[in-house]
Amino acid sequence: MCFSKMKKLLSLAVLFSASSAICSAEEVTIYGVKSLSGSFASYGKYADMGSRLAVENYGDLLGQPVKYSVIDTEGNAGKAVRKVQEAIRQQGALFFDGATLSSTALAIGKEVDKAGGVFMTPAGADELTGSECNNATFRWSVPTYGAIHETVEPLIKAHPDWKRWYTITPQYVFGEALLNNAKAVFKAEGIEHAGNSYHSLQEQEFSGYLTNAMAAKPDVLLLLNFGGQSSNALRQAVNFGLKHQMKILVAWSSGLDQLQELGPQVAEGVYFGAQYWHTVDTPMNKELVSNVQAAYNMNPNYPMAADYIGTRIILDAIAKAGTTDGKLVAQAMENSRYQGPTGEETVRAADHQVLKNYYLLKGKAASDMQDKDDYVDIISSGQSFPDESSLDCHRG
Amino acid sequence: MSLYLFQALNGIGLGMIYFLISVGLTIIFGLLNFVNFAHGAYYLLGSYLAFTIVSLSGNFWLALLLAPIVVAALAWVTEKTLIQRAYHLPHTFHILITLGIALIIQELSISIWGPIGKTVAAPPSLAGVIQLGDFFYPKYRLFVIAFTAVIALALWFLLERTRFGALVRAGSEDAQTVSLLGTHIHKLFALTFALGVGLAGLAGVLAAPIRGVHPFIGPEVLGLAFVVVVIGGMGSFVGALVGGITVGLVQSMMTTLWPQGASLMIYGAMAIVILMKPYGLFGRA
Amino acid sequence: MNTTSKTSIYKGITPAALIAVIVMPMVLPSTTLATEILIFALAALGCNLLLGYTGLLSFGQGIFFGGGAYAASLSMIHLNFGLLSALLCAMIVGALLAALVGALAIRRTGIYFVMLTLAFSQMAYFLAYTLSDWTGGDNGLLDVPRPALEIFGIQLADLTSSQAFYGFVAALFMLIFIFARRVIHSPFGSTLVAIRENEGRASAIGFSTSHFKLLAFVISGAITGIAGALYAMLLNFAPLSNIELMMSENILIMTIIGGTGSLLGSLLGAGTIVMLGDILSSIWPRWMIILGIALIAVVLFMPAGLWGGIESLMKRFRESKTSEPDPKLQQEAKS
Repeated sequence: MCFSKMKKLLSLAVLFSASSAICSAEEVTIYGVKSLSGSFASYGKYADMGSRLAVENYGDLLGQPVKYSVIDTEGNAGKAVRKVQEAIRQQGALFFDGATLSSTALAIGKEVDKAGGVFMTPAGADELTGSECNNATFRWSVPTYGAIHETVEPLIKAHPDWKRWYTITPQYVFGEALLNNAKAVFKAEGIEHAGNSYHSLQEQEFSGYLTNAMAAKPDVLLLLNFGGQSSNALRQAVNFGLKHQMKILVAWSSGLDQLQELGPQVAEGVYFGAQYWHTVDTPMNKELVSNVQAAYNMNPNYPMAADYIGTRIILDAIAKAGTTDGKLVAQAMENSRYQGPTGEETVRAADHQVLKNYYLLKGKAASDMQDKDDYVDIISSGQSFPDESSLDCHRG
Repeated sequence: MSLYLFQALNGIGLGMIYFLISVGLTIIFGLLNFVNFAHGAYYLLGSYLAFTIVSLSGNFWLALLLAPIVVAALAWVTEKTLIQRAYHLPHTFHILITLGIALIIQELSISIWGPIGKTVAAPPSLAGVIQLGDFFYPKYRLFVIAFTAVIALALWFLLERTRFGALVRAGSEDAQTVSLLGTHIHKLFALTFALGVGLAGLAGVLAAPIRGVHPFIGPEVLGLAFVVVVIGGMGSFVGALVGGITVGLVQSMMTTLWPQGASLMIYGAMAIVILMKPYGLFGRA
Repeated sequence: MNTTSKTSIYKGITPAALIAVIVMPMVLPSTTLATEILIFALAALGCNLLLGYTGLLSFGQGIFFGGGAYAASLSMIHLNFGLLSALLCAMIVGALLAALVGALAIRRTGIYFVMLTLAFSQMAYFLAYTLSDWTGGDNGLLDVPRPALEIFGIQLADLTSSQAFYGFVAALFMLIFIFARRVIHSPFGSTLVAIRENEGRASAIGFSTSHFKLLAFVISGAITGIAGALYAMLLNFAPLSNIELMMSENILIMTIIGGTGSLLGSLLGAGTIVMLGDILSSIWPRWMIILGIALIAVVLFMPAGLWGGIESLMKRFRESKTSEPDPKLQQEAKS
């Protein structure tokens, strides 16, 4: 019995590999790398919904419906890489979208590059389109450079009397990148950097750092952490009455989901930097919002929008290239210009960075909200990217 | 008011919360000789229940009263159905079974309340700050200090001056003798477990307006509770109080002195205490 | 206990392990999954030597796993080490870290021992994340090579394909498995068990129990270090999560779920936990509820772990087959 079972398995394997070889010319599968379980579930759930919807809405591609397959990272970079390897080797996977964590995105990018595929990610690490860039990896999210320039600069321009800034920074690569960009802007604009507090990656108690900030008496408190840490830092800053003593800017917020968590009492009067906001007035965003409303009965948040457009860009590039050859698809993506959720977006060929808007938002009072998700006004938006001559990316 | 003095005040405030998180763990360990790795998860549950009660009723005080009672009741049921059967097993199995419970609570919380965190507002009467020299301190945190002090006194009274407390203390020394005295040791164990876990739930409610509610906060809270309990001495009520305030002060001072090393210092302190004073500052052999 | 298969380390569970290692890549969805299982089985094996045979519950296994991963990766990236020398390096670093942690931790027993290992685990994580110039910090260490298998400059096998790498990991696993069995069945191993059963008596007989415990730690750290190195080679990547407390916790869970009474239990435990995550997570994001239930069930119904459960099933099966059990023999077996 065991022998016959084995034979069956073997013949199945032969069948499978043969069929995949025949079909691979036409059938397109997008692999969504999402943190569904584990400690980044708040992100992965919506990211998965975004990719799924993009595939469902796309219709036929190369004469066949597009398939979608999700890979759960379990919130763990090691698991994610192993599962991506498996998808590449067993199923000939080439097209990947997602990854929340920078570490996951960086390592997956390397694997997909080796396989000659395409990987689009909204992760935060600048290395993705910097020192660790490669032919396969593309990034939709604005780098730390743009996040600082599009939030700190407009505030300084609009309020020349906000002269002293205090920063709170998580001590690791991403935090340092935001901090260095902020310092450069302070220097260029003649702003006094009143001080900085570093905190560890696990910190959830910010009262001590906020006390340091209070003692420095700045005009603006700039929070350079993100996710749960920025929520807690902001919440505690509001508890300590800092909102009445200084302005607060959260440079790298995650947008709607974070504001839903914080609520208008905390968010009112606070400035937020964001990659995306659902009321942005562009044709593609209107279409996105109505699609998401129809499918999920909610407004799209950043993870959903980012992975929706990320998946869509790959699908469009496959259509343009007319093939599932990863290298040709990657080439088709380079220099492509399209209507994205933030308006006209461009994929820069040099570093595979998508050039798109970053937004400065300001929290509204509960009484001014028009609907349940109307937490902010968009103060300004724009595109700031490091000059092409100054890139760390040197692709072979 | 100097920065350091203010940081010290802030540290005591933090320490009182840490005391409340840890005291339940220490009471359970003292009497039951049971290591509760689900302590952080029950704290989480307290926070989420507070969120639900506040959003339904708009009344924080109701949450402060009800949520810990619900958590304690759940703990009592868990003790009766699961925990009780693991007492006779080695610590390894205590850790395993409570890790299992913690995972279930965490994942169910995500199923019920979703993966995105929640905010619980402090009661309106305690919103706002008090000015102390150049600094501001939230009224709510002052309330937490005072309230926790009252709870600590009540607990002290319960453990030192009542029959229940006498039994718990006697049981910590020698559970067999207590059961020979004709006391239902099972009932006593279940009540103590519910009390200890209920205190974790209470800590969860009190901390919710400060820390917010997030489904993955359990392990962090648990780690902190262990540090406090080990520094103070496993099973010692006074140890939890002193340990909590010590950790709070260290953490607060470190933010000014060497912020990156705050967590290193805390765990380093724990290692040093175990190596120098094996049973903590106030523990008994 | 039947002595014949227990005393010979090449009989009994060794062929069983060999069969499992050969069959796994055929029945599992992918060879990389099988490789991951074997790597974690090695880590669980290291943990089992401490927990099952010495009675030491260590939350510090992630230190050795992560340390081994970093040591092998850095030696290959910066010093151009080959496959075997990198593994040797990881083994030595794992052993040294274990000696350091062990020397301090074994001064205490019971829950205080556990708490010490937990504290060291947190401190190691902090170090790894602070020394980001070396470890890559939160981004992880990228571009870890997987060199070919060479001895004295002669290439024996190219390990680029996942099948070849599985073969190498499997061979190494069997070697270490046999080595671990040797250790257990040596006088040293019996002393460890004696310490676990009654430390006071063991030291009264004249054993320096702390030396034995420390040596157990070192062996465990060396094996876990190798596992970490293999994991980095599998992924071409050494994430910070290798050295997190979660990793220690996972290794412990695998060991206990599998069963601490037998080395084969470690393979079973690693296989169960890795597969559970792999299969269930794609079906139901809240799959960890099932893991939680499984943990509780093991404590309540199968304290000897899955392997213990299988053993008692086999025993019952055998007993039902023998028509008339000798009551005298049964009595002896019980005592």
